[in-house]
Amino acid sequence: MISDEQVRRRVTQIMAEEFELEPELLQPDATLYEDLGLDSLDAVDMVVALEKAFGMKMTDEEAVRAVRTLGDLFELVSHLSNQQAAKE
Amino acid sequence: MKAAVVVIGSGISGLTAAALLAKKGRRVIILERNKRPGGALKRFTRRGIPFDIGFHYSGGMGKGEILRALWEYIGVWPRLVILPFPPEGNENLRIRDSGRVVRAFFSYDRLEDELQRVFPDEKQGISTYLNKIREISNTIPFFNPDLPLTPYLHDLFSPKGMSLAQLLTSLIQDTDLHAVLSTPVFLYGVPPREVNLTIHASVAHPLYSGVYAIDGGGQAIVDAFLATLAEAGVDILTGQEVESIIVKENQVAGVKTSKGEICASHVIYTGHPTSLLDMVPDGIFRKAFYNRMRNLINTNSMFIVFGAIDDPDTLGDLTWVNYYNIRTGLDIMDLDLRHPEKSIMINAPGRRDSDSTGASRGVLLIRMSAWDEVARFDQGVQGKRSSAYRKWKAESADKMIEQAGRLWGDACSRIEPLAIGTPLTFRDRLGSPMGATYGVQHSMNQFSPGVRTRLPGLWLSGQGTLMAGIMGASLAGMVTVGEIEGLEPLWDEVRQCR
Ligand SMILES: Cc1cc2nc3c(=O)[nH]c(=O)nc-3n(C[C@H](O)[C@H](O)[C@H](O)COP(=O)(O)OP(=O)(O)OC[C@H]3O[C@@H](n4cnc5c(N)ncnc54)[C@H](O)[C@@H]3O)c2cc1C
Repeated sequence: MISDEQVRRRVTQIMAEEFELEPELLQPDATLYEDLGLDSLDAVDMVVALEKAFGMKMTDEEAVRAVRTLGDLFELVSHLSNQQAAKE
Repeated sequence: MKAAVVVIGSGISGLTAAALLAKKGRRVIILERNKRPGGALKRFTRRGIPFDIGFHYSGGMGKGEILRALWEYIGVWPRLVILPFPPEGNENLRIRDSGRVVRAFFSYDRLEDELQRVFPDEKQGISTYLNKIREISNTIPFFNPDLPLTPYLHDLFSPKGMSLAQLLTSLIQDTDLHAVLSTPVFLYGVPPREVNLTIHASVAHPLYSGVYAIDGGGQAIVDAFLATLAEAGVDILTGQEVESIIVKENQVAGVKTSKGEICASHVIYTGHPTSLLDMVPDGIFRKAFYNRMRNLINTNSMFIVFGAIDDPDTLGDLTWVNYYNIRTGLDIMDLDLRHPEKSIMINAPGRRDSDSTGASRGVLLIRMSAWDEVARFDQGVQGKRSSAYRKWKAESADKMIEQAGRLWGDACSRIEPLAIGTPLTFRDRLGSPMGATYGVQHSMNQFSPGVRTRLPGLWLSGQGTLMAGIMGASLAGMVTVGEIEGLEPLWDEVRQCR
């Protein structure tokens, strides 16, 4: 089990490093596309970076597309990594 | 110099993209690093014997099929003499472990008959597998051109679904049959456990629908394109390596080559995606993109002996039959260095050419190979490598020739090697990291690189973006031009040519 807090810290760190974003911007209510300036091309790179860091698959495209804010992303990563860890 | 579009690379995807853009009225320049255009399709000659590297056969050239439609649309089709494989042509697969021989014909019906004859206990699984491939191919616009391209391409770039290995093990018990039905992976370079059914079907379906060679081999395709491109006013500048992409106001402005600068508002890059990273100024791509592109998993490489055989009839029909000796089961790539007796393939297509002479002729011995085999020799420049490397290369070739002699008769043990291709050779000649014969793997483990990039005006194409093989790389060229000019309208025009 990975805690929500651990997920939050790790996701924030990855987003800051991989997309060269200012840490102050990385608040749960920040939207990925407007506030953080990502675009649809970045989305794949983001998924690949998160999959690698958390050792899980984010193949449910609907769920990924439904992510609006950083907070949504925390929740999805938390859910998927715990779900997939339970299966193993 | 000025062009509207610069195409980097003159392999089949670059030639295709250039021809389509010219047809759309764009001013196009192709830049090629090597002295001769054609990429993997170029032929080379040793002692008067022509050898192909990257084209031996392909599907898609029958009436109503996609490669033919695309080539009709571009205008190269009338310049080519297509040689359909005769019905007796096949992949002659000998399973090393059991000694069983299966002839994998290039026809759904004949293949099904043969498989059911050799594997009578697996009749149901065989039919279900073949139906599944047919069913999937029917959802792929390249094989069912009434479908639009956009939804298919959208799904293609995200890896998901069932693997080939999962399908085979769920339907079939016999591991020899697992190996037989996995052999199309040799044509795209992804192990059966890591490839999904869409990618597999994209290669297996055309293979089971009939394959074709071309009089004059891959070089004839290059020459046909060069003639068509010359008429369309496209310039091909060879011996010009593109060193960097010029960016102005966050948009592509041209390229810098070893010989100067060329202005262009669009640049299409057809080489290996990882090599693009060093060509783009800092600050354009994000770190996440660099990491993703750097960590792409590549296809395996090959070890090939290009030789001369004195008795070409030793095996029966070496012209239209490829003889294989393979392992049973799903580890078909057979890359484990600890196995001394490697899976191996022999083929001698020389007599397909109309101007071929019957006597001594070219023969290819091929096995899969991994970079690990040559990593220790990776120093010095091509042509000036260490004597240790030359020694290893010659000994490895001798081992394959000896194995071929044991498997296929005396004449094969007398094969005289005229050239040898190793992962190092392919790395240097094809510009593919670690000599990957098919570039980036289109596997379930990763997202294939997309056509669009964050930099407006910079587009990717080539086998790395869509599919491997000349069909895959040609269609990659078409898809990239579609992204620039409008995908569905272009697709509409191409499919009209069926
Ligand atoms: C041994 C072998 C056997 C094969 N057999 C078959 C077969 O039987 N049937 C089949 O369908 N397919 C086969 N293939 C696969 C097929 O050849 C390839 O999928 C296809 O040719 C790839 O085309 P491409 O245009 O993507 O790449 P390439 O042909 O590799 O072209 C890329 C070009 O870009 C150039 N380039 C790269 N970077 C730069 C730069 N910075 N500046 C300038 N130029 C640059 C390179 O020099 C090269 O010419 C085989 C491949 C190999 C290696």
